[in-house]
Amino acid sequence: MSVDANTDATSGAGVEGRDDVLLRVRDLDAGYGDLQILTDVDMDVFDGEYVTIVGPNGAGKSTTMKSVFGLTAHMGGTVQFKDEDITGRRPEDIIHVGIGYVPQNDNIFPTLTVEENLEMGAYILDEVPQDAMEAVYERFPILRERKDQKAGTMSGGQQQMLAMGRALMLEPDLLLLDEPSAGLAPDLVKEMFDKIDEINEAGTAILMVEQNAKEALRRCDRGYVLANGQNRYMDTGTALLEDEQVRQDFLGG
Amino acid sequence: MGIAETYSRGRQFAIERPFALVLAVIVVILLGDLLRGLATGQTQFADIGTLVWDGLMRGLVIGLAGIGLSMTYSILNFANFSHGDYITAGAFSGWATTYLIAGLGRADIGALLLVGAGGSVYGGTLGIGMLSTPLAVVAGIVVSGAFAIALSLAVDRTIFKPIRNEDGITLLITSIGVAFALRYLMQFVFGSDVRGTTAQPPSVSLYFIDGTVFINAHDITLLVVASALMLGVHVLLQRTKLGKAMRAMADNKDLALITGISTERVVRATWIIGGGLTGVAGYMFILWKGTLGFNDGWLLLLLIFAAVILGGIGSIYGAIAGGLVIGLTASMSVLWIPSAFSRAAAFVVMIVILLVKPSGLFSGRATA
Repeated sequence: MSVDANTDATSGAGVEGRDDVLLRVRDLDAGYGDLQILTDVDMDVFDGEYVTIVGPNGAGKSTTMKSVFGLTAHMGGTVQFKDEDITGRRPEDIIHVGIGYVPQNDNIFPTLTVEENLEMGAYILDEVPQDAMEAVYERFPILRERKDQKAGTMSGGQQQMLAMGRALMLEPDLLLLDEPSAGLAPDLVKEMFDKIDEINEAGTAILMVEQNAKEALRRCDRGYVLANGQNRYMDTGTALLEDEQVRQDFLGG
Repeated sequence: MGIAETYSRGRQFAIERPFALVLAVIVVILLGDLLRGLATGQTQFADIGTLVWDGLMRGLVIGLAGIGLSMTYSILNFANFSHGDYITAGAFSGWATTYLIAGLGRADIGALLLVGAGGSVYGGTLGIGMLSTPLAVVAGIVVSGAFAIALSLAVDRTIFKPIRNEDGITLLITSIGVAFALRYLMQFVFGSDVRGTTAQPPSVSLYFIDGTVFINAHDITLLVVASALMLGVHVLLQRTKLGKAMRAMADNKDLALITGISTERVVRATWIIGGGLTGVAGYMFILWKGTLGFNDGWLLLLLIFAAVILGGIGSIYGAIAGGLVIGLTASMSVLWIPSAFSRAAAFVVMIVILLVKPSGLFSGRATA
């Protein structure tokens, strides 16, 4: 179950032999400036899959996600998306291939209205895709209610939904979510996870970093445990939850 | 409510907000003085009307020029001190065009292109004005905007772009250097004398309670041009994709990058719009006041900074509102104090308003 640099990142989780890999990360070294955070990280996300990254603070969870989106300094290894090599590409190129990214903080434009935020999500298109916007409004009815309100005046949960809505405007195949439940009240956390389930059930693959590890593992298909910028464990969410070692070391018993 | 209660509430207010109380007392004293002046006939309503009109005009110039400064601040994150000299450069380019068209065949072309440097040609002699030489004035407005756009793009490309990622102080100090270079280049080319640029424009006299307020053709031109451009900027920012992208970038640069907003394109648009407005503001300023010198933009820059800071730096509506407040204050202060102190009065009002509302009138967040 433990993953070291030599084994396949997907061994033992019922995904061997699947050929519909969407995102394939191999031997990724990355960091900020001269500081290397990730060492030989391997990761896969299959079509329509829901994958969670958990691990202690400073494990490199967010850094892995940012590296996929081209927001870190690339130092080695490869990132493939749909058979296309996107290693080291810049974010403005990566949104074109079908990856959406929701950062943890500052993920909305506060003085723009809700609708304008969504429009900016589709900036790279010539026309605002009305069907995609309609789908976002269907998914998050509160956003339709508030569409002319300045985004910065909404509550934290609503802002988080707007941030996800913005990322869904391009109808990505893979959505990267960085701690979507951070700072939310407990009842909103459940609602947020429900929304993510719905997005996933509609066919969008999810790669998510979560502080709320137990809940995230309960809901996801597969989980990766990172520590010190390296792969430690990989298995289905339930298997990781039941693993004694993982529970003790990473899930607080 | 009993007297005692009123008293205790008043006491409470005075303790909690002593500054507001002092401010209120000062306002009451000033109003009282004004009323006394009006009652004794020392001040006329028409004088006040004239000053308000004058302040409004000045405010429009400051506000129009302030939009560009505010935009570069919010989108490029630096206070551009060369902005004042873009104003002057726009003015000289526009007025050279106006002189050339109005005076072609009547004076030496070199003298016309140098806007009558050294007293070689006078705008008054050429009869320049909105109604007397409309074509020359309109062409001047267009050229002033175009030239200021070209200048700000050229300066950005050669000087600011290479140091785009340095901190704001580096950019600020560089912009001061650019300001000096531009200003003394203009002094070298056009000379340091202040020249009259327009003939006396025709005016209408409005009867106002106890006297007349004169409104001339150039006031109206300024009012129309400035309002139209401000409205244009508003529509651009609120309705167009480019405008929304500009506001998005002012709001959150990192997120703008993630959504694929082309930041260099937005930066270029910022210089084009800001530069164009600044150049036209320079031209209109000269048309309105009737004189042109190489220091005009630099001297106006301090008031523009005051207006932009007052409005909440980064907000274009704040720049417009701040411009009007500063313009009106500078003009109306002569009701109470000698006109030599009118600029000082504008700054005092700025400081007072910032003490009450430290983030500025429009809370200085973004280009909205």
